[in-house]
Amino acid sequence: MKKKLMKWLNVGLVSVLLVSMLAGCGKKSDEGSETKSDGGKGETVKIGVLVADVSSENAMAFSAYYNDYVAKEYNVEFQFTDALEDAASEKAAIEKFASQGCQGIISMSSSDRALQIETCEEYEVYYAVATGMLDDAQYEEYKSNEFFVGQIGASMTAEYETGLDMAKYFVEKGAKKVAIYGAFIPNPMHVYRTAGVLAGLGCTYGGASDQEGIAGQIFGDQGVDLSKVAGDVEVVAYFQGYGDTTADEFNAASQAAPDAFISVGMGTTFFAQQLNTAEIPFGDIDSFTSSNSEAMKNGKLEYIAAVYGSSIGPVFAVMLDAINGNVIRDEEGNALSINQAYAVATNGDEFDEYFLKDNSDSPIFDKETLDAIVSDTANFEDVKSLVEAH
Amino acid sequence: MSKEFMIEAKKMHKSFGSTVALDNVNVKVSGGEIRGLIGENGSGKSTVTSIIAGMQRANEGEMFFKGKPWNPGSMIESLENGVGMIVQESGTVPGISVAENIFLGETAQFRRGGIVSRKRLIKAAQEVLNSIGASYIKAETLTADIDMQSRKLVEIAKVMRKNPEVLIVDETTTALSQDGREIIYKIMNQMKAENKAVIFISHDLEEIMNVCDALTVLRDGKIIVTFDKDEFDEDVIKTSMIGRELQGEYYRSDLDDSYDNEVVLEIVKGELDDQLREFDFQLHKGEILGVGGLSYCGMHTLGKVLFGAERLNAGEVLAHGKPLKNEKEAMNHGIGYVSKDRDYESLSLNASIKDNISIGGLECFATGKFLLLSGKENRYVDEQIKKLSIKCQDRNQYVMTLSGGNKQKVVFGKWIGRDSEILILDCPTRGVDIGVKQAMYQLMYQMKKEGKSIVIISEEMTELLGMADRILIMKDGKKAAEFMRSDKPQEADIIKYMI
Amino acid sequence: MVKNQRKLNKYKIQQMIVQFLPLVALVVLFLVFCAVVQTKGYRLDMYLKIVFNEGIVLAVVATGAIFIYSLGSFDISLGAATLFSATMGVLNYNAFENVPLMIVVIGVSGIGCSLLSSILASIFHIPVFVATVAMMSVLSAVSAQIITSRGGALGGISIPSNVLKSLDVPAFKIVTLAVFFLLCLYVFNFTKIGRREKFIGGNPVCAKLTGINYNKHAIIGFCIAGLSVGLGAFLTLVYTPSVTATTASSLGMNILVAIVFGGMPISGGADSKIFSAIIGGFSYILLDNALELIFDSSSGYGITQIISAVFFLLVVYAASMNYRTKTLPR
Repeated sequence: MKKKLMKWLNVGLVSVLLVSMLAGCGKKSDEGSETKSDGGKGETVKIGVLVADVSSENAMAFSAYYNDYVAKEYNVEFQFTDALEDAASEKAAIEKFASQGCQGIISMSSSDRALQIETCEEYEVYYAVATGMLDDAQYEEYKSNEFFVGQIGASMTAEYETGLDMAKYFVEKGAKKVAIYGAFIPNPMHVYRTAGVLAGLGCTYGGASDQEGIAGQIFGDQGVDLSKVAGDVEVVAYFQGYGDTTADEFNAASQAAPDAFISVGMGTTFFAQQLNTAEIPFGDIDSFTSSNSEAMKNGKLEYIAAVYGSSIGPVFAVMLDAINGNVIRDEEGNALSINQAYAVATNGDEFDEYFLKDNSDSPIFDKETLDAIVSDTANFEDVKSLVEAH
Repeated sequence: MSKEFMIEAKKMHKSFGSTVALDNVNVKVSGGEIRGLIGENGSGKSTVTSIIAGMQRANEGEMFFKGKPWNPGSMIESLENGVGMIVQESGTVPGISVAENIFLGETAQFRRGGIVSRKRLIKAAQEVLNSIGASYIKAETLTADIDMQSRKLVEIAKVMRKNPEVLIVDETTTALSQDGREIIYKIMNQMKAENKAVIFISHDLEEIMNVCDALTVLRDGKIIVTFDKDEFDEDVIKTSMIGRELQGEYYRSDLDDSYDNEVVLEIVKGELDDQLREFDFQLHKGEILGVGGLSYCGMHTLGKVLFGAERLNAGEVLAHGKPLKNEKEAMNHGIGYVSKDRDYESLSLNASIKDNISIGGLECFATGKFLLLSGKENRYVDEQIKKLSIKCQDRNQYVMTLSGGNKQKVVFGKWIGRDSEILILDCPTRGVDIGVKQAMYQLMYQMKKEGKSIVIISEEMTELLGMADRILIMKDGKKAAEFMRSDKPQEADIIKYMI
Repeated sequence: MVKNQRKLNKYKIQQMIVQFLPLVALVVLFLVFCAVVQTKGYRLDMYLKIVFNEGIVLAVVATGAIFIYSLGSFDISLGAATLFSATMGVLNYNAFENVPLMIVVIGVSGIGCSLLSSILASIFHIPVFVATVAMMSVLSAVSAQIITSRGGALGGISIPSNVLKSLDVPAFKIVTLAVFFLLCLYVFNFTKIGRREKFIGGNPVCAKLTGINYNKHAIIGFCIAGLSVGLGAFLTLVYTPSVTATTASSLGMNILVAIVFGGMPISGGADSKIFSAIIGGFSYILLDNALELIFDSSSGYGITQIISAVFFLLVVYAASMNYRTKTLPR
């Protein structure tokens, strides 16, 4: 009996000790962050960052830029969420950030942006979108919200055009037969990119040839139904899903000898090796990472449209301005809405422009560049011109 | 160390919670000896043997095997080193073949190129089965598809394959028919001839007196006495087991086989596979009807059919003249059923005594149609615990911690609490000590006198002869013979109809 | 005699400790959580509200799920069913703009999903768990199809945010949880249904031979779980008026963890406790949030999950330790 009671006590004690130890660890790291200073004035500004993706190279590049560069250059501290999976977790994350004393929220998660804005308004913290953009109707509804700072990212139209340009590139190179990878359709971003690819190939989809017509049907079909594709360029195969394509399916596609493989996301991750072996040139919309660098320099990757780590610099700048009292508005007094196009590389040198030169030590949007818009007097034109210049 | 015994346990002490299971127990068994352990349920027989066989450890005390300290960490370790045990509960895995059970955890020896050769495995397992005289069991059969007796024999084969020097047989024979028992007696005698030791636990006093060379009696976790063969005396042994002389009658002594003419439960031309064939059956109000036969004669199936738990292929079951379709209807007719397989079919072992007793009679203590209040329920359960003298700490004690006899009393409590008019009892005294047996017999007789009806299905002829008004003998799913109590039938008369 | 009485008392104390251990764990976790929040200098009142909001849907659906788990069964589709019910609710509101009707539709959808699982299992004679795996795939796929095709570029569908906003207050949620919990408590502990469900979980064969109809009780259990799914879906919409394909995606697994945290045996049976859902649900959320605060995301993603898993194993080990002590005496 004594032994049994001791066993129970042991389990209990171990649990409590474990929790206490962990609590201790947390305290230490927190203290560490509070003592950090770059010589800036006043209290450290806390900004919460909502992220839906934590593991991709792109996501890691973003967090490295904020944590390893921006946080060192400015008197600011970033709090990142774990991967947010739905609207409820986004709302809870904003509430937690607010209770932690964050003054601004930068969003890279898009389950329900309207709710994100409303929650920020409830807790009186500023809100800005760093990746993607609000739907037009949503923007109209919230553009005058005093806590909505704005959005700097790629709109759905920009996504469509990125797909369109990539497809056109391969058509101009003479592609007559292609295979398409629609990534994570029905993710809206991937739907619009794929719609753009079909349009860029000169194809119609279910008779539609315009952006909304094609995208609407892809949403309805939850993918691309090849029997609905018509045009001069033949689409010999279509895949989608996170690693869902089997080797047999890929081999069947490569038997049809496509002239190009067009991917709207993570093409290198899933197909680079097979495409290199089959010697099929491919294009992708992704990010400037080492694996894409390798694929472009030593593999068959010929075209990449991508964002780079520091592309989220300007949105930080306008957030900091807002927190410091300068809420920048557009000419009509509304929240900012600036389209940030993807950078495109078609060879190793172009790739390195973004890959090698944009890193935590010397990002494209470095302090010197950002300082142009981190000020009490910065305005919409300053921000817009800076974003469009890069 | 004085004389070197095959197995020796000294000053063993073991307790479970507040229950002292063993108190300063000393046991010595020599080579060439078959030692019987006997005692009432909960006396500590299984505890001492399970410690010897590595199933659990003692709190205090030491053990020696062939003069060397013995402290096995598990049953596997124990068996590997020469002490094997065949347990009361099922020790086979149902979802795999008989052969895989026999060589459980050791199929690697049949590997060829990384793959186990099924053919070789089955051949080896069949050889083991043949060696113990159970060749009728086919090694390739799925274990779930063979009956309880055969599963028991598979366990025996599994242990005997290791050629142990000490074999512990814990109430195994209660699950076996005469054929099965013969197999195990043969094994035990062979071990004795080879100067090995056997420890045999059984509730069947007659059996244990026949088989054993010496008999150790345990009571309340203590060794009371050890008898040599020439000292065996049934009454003395019984008295030392229960610590007093048995009061009152064991079986009923009257020859009155009268009962009411009203038929309360009936089967008309029942057909069910090869278990029941053109079977007619009638149970009357106030009757104790005994059903006997060999294990596979269909009598166990009959019990289930009478309770609506098995559906007939043809014919019908009538309770009070109305067709009976399922267990719920049977209960509505006041029928209760005690299964032969107590742990698997009659009890929820992980539940308390209270849960097990009250589940049968929820409507008896419900307030209104739905509400169950613990005060009423507790009174209901406590009444059964008291009436049946269930030995327990309290009503919330888990049934799994009770001895076999007390478990069976809980099953009885479930049906008696709801005042069942008809009880179908399939081997109700299996694995139960004589004290509890006697209590159960007295209870049955009391119920008869109250006008209740009982079907007692049993493989023990003496039990049927001792209790039934009428005995029905089954063979191959048919009625082979019928005897009235007043005719004073003898065991030999009955057995010839069974075989 | 005195010695034995002392031992008996010790046994009873031990049983009591076992009984109250989950509650003690909840209190300890609560205190640890408060300490962590205070140490970090964050606002405790706001954090408690967040934890409550996060825990309530889990607690409600887990409370209903207890009726399935106590049968010794398992439903992995509860998260998907919550998503489906919420989706139906949004579609219905957007079509008729009638809140009571939306609530009815959500409830019926929840019960419908659950019932379908149990009926499928009984028709095809497959384990309920297998049926729920199939249901999970179907419900997720159907919901995703509706959400993405109707949500288009937004990636989700929603009702106007002001429709249920007034209900997004702790008082309403506490009353909802209390009413539902008391209803379940009554059915589970004080009616024949609850008692029989637990008995089936303990030994279905014995239950059958005691006149208990498995199918009937499975259907009742799934209906109650369905009701909790409906309520969970409604509370989800109260908190966030939008539904995306990933809404409630981790709920099914969280329920399993929560119920174990709450001290309920995963195999069901007589030891099943209705309190496990609430105690375990809030314990899990408190643990999760405490760990999230202790290890900020820069410490490495997934570390909180690993520690949660360690806690989970610890709880299961402690529970099995108790089980082993019960099995040996004979």
